[in-house]
Amino acid sequence: MSTSSPALDPILSAEAIAARKPGPFSLAGKSIVTPILLVLILLAIAIVTTMIGSKPFNQVIIDLFVRVILVVGLYVFIGNSGVMSFGQIGFTCLGAYVAAWLTINPVMKKMSLPGLPDFILKTKMEYWQAAIFATIFAAVAALVFGRILMRLSGIAASIATFAMLAMINTIYSNWDRVTGATSSVVGIPIVRSIWPYFTAAGIVIFIAWLHAISRSGLALRAARDEPTAAAASGIDIPKERLIAFVISGAIMGVGGALTAHSIGVVTPDNFYLSLTFVTLSMLVVGGMGSLTGSVLGVVILSALIQALRFLEAGVPVGGSMLALPKGLQEIALGIIMIVILALRPSGLFGNRELTLTRNRSE
Amino acid sequence: MTLLNLVDVSVRYGRLTAVRGVSINLKEGEVLFITGPNGAGKSSLLRAIAGVTPTAGGHVEFDGAEITGRTPEDIARLGFSMVPEGREVFGSLTIEENLMVGAGMHSRTPGWKGQTAADLDSVYNTFPILKERRNQQAGLLSGGQQQMLVIGRALMARPRLIAIDEPSLGLAPNITDQVYERLIALQAERSLTLLIVEQSSTRAVMIGGRMILMRSGQVVLDGDARELGNSEAMQAAYFGYEDH
Amino acid sequence: MLQIVFDALSLGSLYALGALGIALIFGVMRLVNFAHGDVIAFSIFALLWPSTDAMAIVFAGNLPWFLLIPFVLLVGAGLSVLCEIVVFRRFRNTNPATMMIASFALGFVIRYFLLMLYSSRPKSISLLPILSQPVEMLGARLPLLQLITIIVTIAILFGLVIFLRRTRFGLEMRAAAENFSMARMLGVRANRVIMGAFALSGALAGAIALIFGIQTGTADIQMGAAVMLMAFISTVIGGLGSLAGAVLAGFLLGAASVVMQVILPVDARPFRDAFVYGAVILVLLFRPQGLIAARGTKERV
Repeated sequence: MSTSSPALDPILSAEAIAARKPGPFSLAGKSIVTPILLVLILLAIAIVTTMIGSKPFNQVIIDLFVRVILVVGLYVFIGNSGVMSFGQIGFTCLGAYVAAWLTINPVMKKMSLPGLPDFILKTKMEYWQAAIFATIFAAVAALVFGRILMRLSGIAASIATFAMLAMINTIYSNWDRVTGATSSVVGIPIVRSIWPYFTAAGIVIFIAWLHAISRSGLALRAARDEPTAAAASGIDIPKERLIAFVISGAIMGVGGALTAHSIGVVTPDNFYLSLTFVTLSMLVVGGMGSLTGSVLGVVILSALIQALRFLEAGVPVGGSMLALPKGLQEIALGIIMIVILALRPSGLFGNRELTLTRNRSE
Repeated sequence: MTLLNLVDVSVRYGRLTAVRGVSINLKEGEVLFITGPNGAGKSSLLRAIAGVTPTAGGHVEFDGAEITGRTPEDIARLGFSMVPEGREVFGSLTIEENLMVGAGMHSRTPGWKGQTAADLDSVYNTFPILKERRNQQAGLLSGGQQQMLVIGRALMARPRLIAIDEPSLGLAPNITDQVYERLIALQAERSLTLLIVEQSSTRAVMIGGRMILMRSGQVVLDGDARELGNSEAMQAAYFGYEDH
Repeated sequence: MLQIVFDALSLGSLYALGALGIALIFGVMRLVNFAHGDVIAFSIFALLWPSTDAMAIVFAGNLPWFLLIPFVLLVGAGLSVLCEIVVFRRFRNTNPATMMIASFALGFVIRYFLLMLYSSRPKSISLLPILSQPVEMLGARLPLLQLITIIVTIAILFGLVIFLRRTRFGLEMRAAAENFSMARMLGVRANRVIMGAFALSGALAGAIALIFGIQTGTADIQMGAAVMLMAFISTVIGGLGSLAGAVLAGFLLGAASVVMQVILPVDARPFRDAFVYGAVILVLLFRPQGLIAARGTKERV
């Protein structure tokens, strides 16, 4: 920018001002380091997993990558807008069932989900094709719900999103002929390789980053920090929120599809309160306003969970077995989360992002 | 006798320093005005004394006791009563309930009920309009009435020092006159110590007493209100002429 | 017809009590306490010896009613206050999101503690069985418990109103709920008021636990969750910071649930809750500040 002291600058002409106006992705230069580093970290994890070659461990890492997708999706909306939404997992549910509808063997579908329209009953596509449709479906749903909800702020918005989640859950838990209601829908082709999940996570991280540095993302964060000033600067807060909400919904949708393909089974309760709070916790503990926080929050907490599981199974120390009593694993996890939040209320990474250079925080 | 002593007090909000090394000695029975332009740190200073905002340096003594870092309720119980900017009535409580909140801190002392009733009467005598509307919700009062209510509420705590932040804010001049009239009468009656923050020095000059001028977080002038009042030094200091 | 009214009232009572428990804490601390449902569960499980059997071995549950009830209420209040002292006190001025997640994590800890001791199988318990018997009233047969629920809720509300309006501590709580900072400047002890709110909230949780336990005859770790969702919603619809609003909204939601159950065509009945949630969204759209916006409520940023 200008190197002369502002008080002595002559008044600039309109052209000069226009020439200095930043382009839509002008922040890309420096900040691209963050998503690159994050993806490299995930790549390292993926490579190590392939080398270890253990099936159970492979599954654990698949879960981790799916969680990364979900939590990054949460960050795109919640982190940037500051609005605590409890409803995002609803889109995950929608995406998961779309994946189920489009990839299950037609014979099985006709038996278990007879209420589906004919053209769906007859379809069977590849998982990645289904994932695209899942994303679109979830994004459209987010658009519809979002138009209604984005005018709300604060706690009213949070409870409205909670109501949305509950609504989706109720509908899916009861619409027997289309979703199988509360019984599990089985027969979804399982994708066992870790690479599709890694790829999806990588793409999602870059999308989140692009949104964050875009004018829309910046405007949204401005509105998060200073709503009055932002509105006075001409920012259309509901519109920017809606954009983030739809992108978030899309990401949650693809996460849902991949969840379905990672275990081969879906039920509505898998996508309700439990998953909502696990993912929200990972987001907040990692650092709500930070993309790094979302990704590394998942990695760190997942590592913690695994460590606790390991301890519960028993570790030989000296001559004897050291093991946590059963059930203590979750209690320990809860306590650790509380301690982390008490010590660092903004989460492990707060608002900061992972970079190579030491620069001052935003 | 010194009632309030501030020694090198600083207040910071993140990287912004609002008050830098302010030292003030306030004697019992004094009336002290703190004036200065916007952002001078006057409100921050008051909030730091009251314990609402933490200090970043220095210490505060009240009646010989160290109060730095203590909770607002402890400080209030020592006899320091704060009336913050914007009045802050409890809008959904009635006038009488508002007044009674202030009285609670002495409930352990014997004869509390009787004394409180007497206090209440005394406040009603000073501000008859409050008595008329004693069972109305405080949120319905006008600005001037609310200001009287919060002063009365502060009085119910039987303070030795009352600190008021911008009593004239948002009030018409004649209403402000009334408020000050009662305030000064009370001060004389009960030998209260008053610490008043006002953006304009006019009041201070009108009423007299001691005046301190703050600018950019520091004490710039300290003296008799009337003497300083319209002096050249005052204007220069207020607007910071010598800095340019 | 009368049956519907009683159903609505008794369901509404449960929601109202739950909402009140949430609103009390929210009022003084701006905290949405997600651990509340687990305090409810804990209060009932405290009556049983730890075991994984389906038939619970009741230890304190055999106490006569006049000891049983205070016991459960005290357990609820005690646990709630413990939560405040050990956990929530560290989070006094943090941002709402962190507080919510911390409260969720705390609930998680309580839930898994119960799971560890009692396993996830719902246990059948038999508390005050006479209350489950039906009673004839104004031409409708209803379980005595439903009537008791309604009466007890009204009594609790009445008692609470008197406490808040007529006692000094109640006044301090109301002042603190409206403007915490100003109340402190007038000598109101922050810790005591907050503990009072938690104690009351916990006692309410105990009351809900009792009603639920008697109503369903089981002690189930999930028992708090069902009520709590509606309780949270009621608190917000009622107007944050307004206890009266929370109670009113609780009753309205209960009524809406029951009414929907009746007027919806049979096919749509399983989706009743979805309609209720949709109605909630509508209410929030048109009145985001809630039914009874607490006058003079400061938005604590």
